[in-house]
Amino acid sequence: MNQTMTPLVDPRIWDETTAALRAAAAKLLTDGTVAAVVGYVAGRRSGSAMPAIVSTAAEAETLIFSPSCTNNLSLYLTRSKKSIGARGKLAVMVKGCDLRALAGLISENQLQRDQVVILGLACPGVYAAAADRRQPLSAENIAGKCRECSVRTPENVDQLLGRLPELPPLEDSEAAELARLEALTPPERWGFWNGHFSRCIRCLACRQVCPFCFCEQCLCDRNRPQGVEGSPRPAGNTAWHIVRAMHLAGRCAGCAECESACPMEIPLNLLNRKMAQELKELYGYESGTEAQEKGPLTSYDEKDDQSFIK
Amino acid sequence: MHPTKQHQFEPKIVAFVCTWCTYAGADLAGTSRLQYPSNVRVVKFPCTGRIDPLFILRAFQKGADGVLVSGCHPGDCHYMAGNFHARRRFAAFRHLLDFVGVDLKRLLFSWVSAAEGGKWVEVVTEFTESLKTMEPMKEFRALEGQEHWSSLIDTPELQESYDAIP
Repeated sequence: MNQTMTPLVDPRIWDETTAALRAAAAKLLTDGTVAAVVGYVAGRRSGSAMPAIVSTAAEAETLIFSPSCTNNLSLYLTRSKKSIGARGKLAVMVKGCDLRALAGLISENQLQRDQVVILGLACPGVYAAAADRRQPLSAENIAGKCRECSVRTPENVDQLLGRLPELPPLEDSEAAELARLEALTPPERWGFWNGHFSRCIRCLACRQVCPFCFCEQCLCDRNRPQGVEGSPRPAGNTAWHIVRAMHLAGRCAGCAECESACPMEIPLNLLNRKMAQELKELYGYESGTEAQEKGPLTSYDEKDDQSFIK
Repeated sequence: MHPTKQHQFEPKIVAFVCTWCTYAGADLAGTSRLQYPSNVRVVKFPCTGRIDPLFILRAFQKGADGVLVSGCHPGDCHYMAGNFHARRRFAAFRHLLDFVGVDLKRLLFSWVSAAEGGKWVEVVTEFTESLKTMEPMKEFRALEGQEHWSSLIDTPELQESYDAIP
């Protein structure tokens, strides 16, 4: 792609956020509030970004915020990665979608709210997985999840960095795809999903990048008794994706990292989104920016619907 | 040549039941000498809350044509709330299976108490009858066979070669 696409917003907006971010991070590190900042630095390739943990004010100058900052950094704060939190309080850069995941982790007792300083970022959107990082962010290369984002300005954060520019309305292509699938007959949906699942190579990148897949031993790795077949054959793949969606139901924050990490381009977020939609309809639950006492599948109401039970 | 026998499709049903209510209910049906189809294979669990959705998947993969999950009526759980949690989990799981394209007529949930031997008979009979009107569950089994060297033994080519034998 050589032609330049129309930028969605003025690209200088990210420079402003980066400047505010560096100042905030340097201050937190200098006055000793935090031991380290979990953030993004420029990647090796032009325009790219990668997660990094910085611990000095000088290093804080390397932090950036750009549309390439796709990773959900709350991944690094689960209890299973406790070694990084052992040296003291951490500050973490979060976009709205990441904040929902962080709130979910706090709800699930993976960390305490007072152990982190949340640096919220006003985020116009990030690149889709395959987008060329040298192009400006546009309506064509923005990630699917950002089209329907309702948390561009994260709330309940310690510091809000940057400001949100006026955004043109974006078409929610994911919702359209979801509606299209729901309208199909079950055999057609089976064909659709198994067409995708059969391509799965079981690299388990979807599991590695998921902040909620923090079990120290995954059920799907056990082989005595075996829950899910481990080799990348269609039977085990379908079972894995059903189990994954089920284990994330009522927990998934919709950061869509699984989908962007997937090398086979399986539309995993459609499954997550479908489950979120069902749980909202059934139990009025939505993942939010504040920790919640109980998730929909870890609580119950005696008057829950049971029309499907004989 | 003998006439080809017409076998009626006998569905395999796996029933995941809780030990306190439905298992006792099924036992009561037996001790009361009530008749019900032998298509059902009962697997006993401590509680419906112990029944992982994975078990249902596994049953389908290994050849079940239908899965029945049954436990105590709401409020009667031996562990106070196991069936309330199970109810939510299965409500969500049903929607997931439906979205992936599984026919929900193959999955039945029921509450059968220890005193309801009659209801157990009724549930099993109705479920068996409704499965008999359907085809065998082939979706998951077909997947099991895919990319598996030993399962491709009945290819059209092989059949053709057999037919070519004079």
